[in-house]
Amino acid sequence: MNDMPSTDPASVRALMDWFGVDEALLSRVLSEALSHGGDYADLYFEHSTDSSIAMEDGIISRASTSVDRGVGIRVLVGDQTGYAYSEDLSLPAMLGAARTASSIARGSTEVNPQDLTPKGHQQLYAIDKHWGDVGVAVKIPLLQKTERLARAQDPAVEKVVIAWGDAEDKMLIATSEGVLTGDVRPMSRLWCSVTAEKDGETQSNGWNIAGRHGIDWYDDERLTNLAEEAVARTMILFEAKRPPAGELPVVLAAGASGILLHEAIGHGMEADFNRKGTSIYATMIGQKVAEDFVTVVDSALHPYERGALNVDDEGNPTERTALVENGVMRSYLHDRISAQHYGVKPTGSGRRESFRHVPMPRMRCTYMENGPHTRDEIIESVDFGIVAESFTNGQVQIGAGDFTFYIKNGWLIEGGKLTAPIKDVNIIGNGPEALKRITMVADDMKLDTGGWTCGKDGQSVPVSQGMPTCLVSKLTVGGTNA
Amino acid sequence: MRDELLQRAQDAVAMGLAAGADDVVASAGWGRSLEFQWRDDKVEKVQENTSKALRVALYVDGRFSSHGTNDLDPERLKHFVGEAVALTRAIEPDPFRKITPAELYANRPETELDLVDPNLTVDATDAMTREQRLDWIQRLHDAAHADESVISATSGMMDSHSLSARVTSNGFEGTMERTSLWFGAECTIQDGEKRPEAWRWIGGLHRDGLQGPEEVGAECLRRALSRRGQRKAESRKATMIVDPESGAGLIGRIFGALSAGAIQQKRSFLADKKGQQIASKVLTLTDDPLIPRGMGSRLYDGEGISSKRRTILNEGVLESFFVDTYYGRKLGWEPTSGSASNILFEHGDKDRDGLIADVGEGILVTNWLGGNANSTTGDFSFGMRGHLIENGQIGDPVSEMNVTGNYLDLLQRLVTVGNDPVPWSAFRCPTLVFDGIEFSGL
Repeated sequence: MNDMPSTDPASVRALMDWFGVDEALLSRVLSEALSHGGDYADLYFEHSTDSSIAMEDGIISRASTSVDRGVGIRVLVGDQTGYAYSEDLSLPAMLGAARTASSIARGSTEVNPQDLTPKGHQQLYAIDKHWGDVGVAVKIPLLQKTERLARAQDPAVEKVVIAWGDAEDKMLIATSEGVLTGDVRPMSRLWCSVTAEKDGETQSNGWNIAGRHGIDWYDDERLTNLAEEAVARTMILFEAKRPPAGELPVVLAAGASGILLHEAIGHGMEADFNRKGTSIYATMIGQKVAEDFVTVVDSALHPYERGALNVDDEGNPTERTALVENGVMRSYLHDRISAQHYGVKPTGSGRRESFRHVPMPRMRCTYMENGPHTRDEIIESVDFGIVAESFTNGQVQIGAGDFTFYIKNGWLIEGGKLTAPIKDVNIIGNGPEALKRITMVADDMKLDTGGWTCGKDGQSVPVSQGMPTCLVSKLTVGGTNA
Repeated sequence: MRDELLQRAQDAVAMGLAAGADDVVASAGWGRSLEFQWRDDKVEKVQENTSKALRVALYVDGRFSSHGTNDLDPERLKHFVGEAVALTRAIEPDPFRKITPAELYANRPETELDLVDPNLTVDATDAMTREQRLDWIQRLHDAAHADESVISATSGMMDSHSLSARVTSNGFEGTMERTSLWFGAECTIQDGEKRPEAWRWIGGLHRDGLQGPEEVGAECLRRALSRRGQRKAESRKATMIVDPESGAGLIGRIFGALSAGAIQQKRSFLADKKGQQIASKVLTLTDDPLIPRGMGSRLYDGEGISSKRRTILNEGVLESFFVDTYYGRKLGWEPTSGSASNILFEHGDKDRDGLIADVGEGILVTNWLGGNANSTTGDFSFGMRGHLIENGQIGDPVSEMNVTGNYLDLLQRLVTVGNDPVPWSAFRCPTLVFDGIEFSGL
């Protein structure tokens, strides 16, 4: 990714102008935040705009827009946090919020912030035209075309809902350690939901494509694929059954199956849980936890993915972090607090939903590297089991290690062959046990184009996930007892 | 503040009309919350939030859009509303989209809902001080940490005060104000290589009547300790007892299928079931917006429709859907309300432990973990943890199992309803007992 462009200090200056602040003002507010002492303070300015359109029953029937802006002010004393935000960007309002945040520190000695110097960073999601400059008239034909394509796929298609969303998030961060940088983060998504009727039965499903893309990304080929995929995933449900209940080998299909990594490993490797000792992985760094061919990565560096991040929400540079490398637990995902706690460099994983929230260690784009097997070998190796293909939910208990994900579409495997489609069934497993049971990994890794959102402590952030085809020798599959 | 918000909403309606809208609905909101967290030996976080926002819904030449902003600078707001009206003109006319008819605003109840605790408002004279709050969460924490197997415990308390004003161009005007207080703890214990966790949070719109911090912290610890040695049990068909706190996660899922939007879009397995016996006779559900201090209580709904008490299911027979004005118009149905308020269950005469003693053998669900439900077909599958029930007693803890089925079948399998609903939830579900449920495990 060396050929990616980067931003310069002038772009940070432009964001400062946008928020109406300069170095002197930022330093003034940081000083106020540290007026009772404290180890560190930061100011997170954000201005986000969202726009969405929906098409239902053949009509572009609704649109919405929103604007949200403010500054979040944080003061740290060790791992203690004081936080307040202001939606008003006037100096008195910011100083008021800074004083509230400073109440975490009870000292009497003021700490002086370091001088601020604007700094640019890598650029992973440059787009030609900002979403604010793309009119609704340009977006509407995308929805109409996708709707026509979906309806044309199958006469059984009864209802099609197309939903569009785009957003631009401007952020500027200034810290008492002299970091001053900013980022402009685009996001867009096109959703196609389908309901079909056949022989008195109704089924519905959908699919979406998403990323930090501009309007040009939504070309005819992508719209066609989206419509085909959404309808195919719906029509297969008419043939699909529930698998038998109990423990079965589960083949995770390439792509969206990265949800297993996200739930089973990723959350447990977020360093806040480990710092507190509440993760099942809390003492496992350096230990062999999986076969040699298992390498699990969380990276911010995949251009235009939802989880791509030029700089994290604490102003730290982002990176590719290996969670598990050749079967050995390597690194947690760190924010500032946990990196200080462990005495390591932050991994650029400090993220927050908005200026209303404190940053926490979060995933970005989580996936498994390719392994030595092939998809065909993996399926042939299973006498009786299932393939998990698409998903609609996942969750984990960090300490017990139990994780689940819900299979929307998949297949039954009998005698090494795919024999029948399956649907609507939950899978449950235990993180460290599932890692040990990954017995085969194929060479077909792909990132999923669907728009995944991760929730933690009431904060949602966009993420990506990916996976090569792999085999987990045993997981508990919901279903019917014989 | 109330007058300021009403004024802001009125001004926004005027701005929308001036920019060319035929009808405008404006809501101005304000909210403040204070949050304190304690972990192990010290304060973890102190956070204070204050926010203001404005939302407008615009009806322009038969077209519709909605917009929100927290940038209330008068000049920029005027520009924002002007742009919003222009954007509305660019989409397509929708014959079903109209402002709520004024007759639905009539007969707004005058019930005193008692949604504001004067001790929790922003200008309270008797508000808890910082020191009192810290003392409260430290006591919570200490009770949750009171066992040597506890690795870490975090406690917290959050109180909030919010106000909103809604004004429309066809004569609606209303304000809503509420306070709330929530507190609780979570703790993690060492159990071999595993570190099972549990939590207990309670709350209410008022401070009085809530349990004290020691009781809540102790319940959190008791729950965590009950997870020691949890394991997967054999797959089976068994009697399932769902404890009151988990009931909403199971029964709450059918409400998506009761909405007119899902029915009109053919995504409801209940679309053609009105008047039919969709559940066993022990299930009677009422939507009651007018309970004093109810979490979901309100005098009017999100569309301004005046609140009314309404039976949803009567002895298992489906009587009423959640119909908003838009999908009601599309379906040709009278609007009721598009959203649930407080959901009340007709009670049985025993609590959870009494029902456990009665069933003898089965599986108790205390938490759901992930899973999903399909509102089009009624299929569901959820992960769970809980306990085996043996000889009428709570037995070994079980985890890493799934419960799978279809709601049309599940609702008929409901055999008993308890008398112990969660008081601080808008979904006041008591203990539920189902026969013949599919569990998958070993």
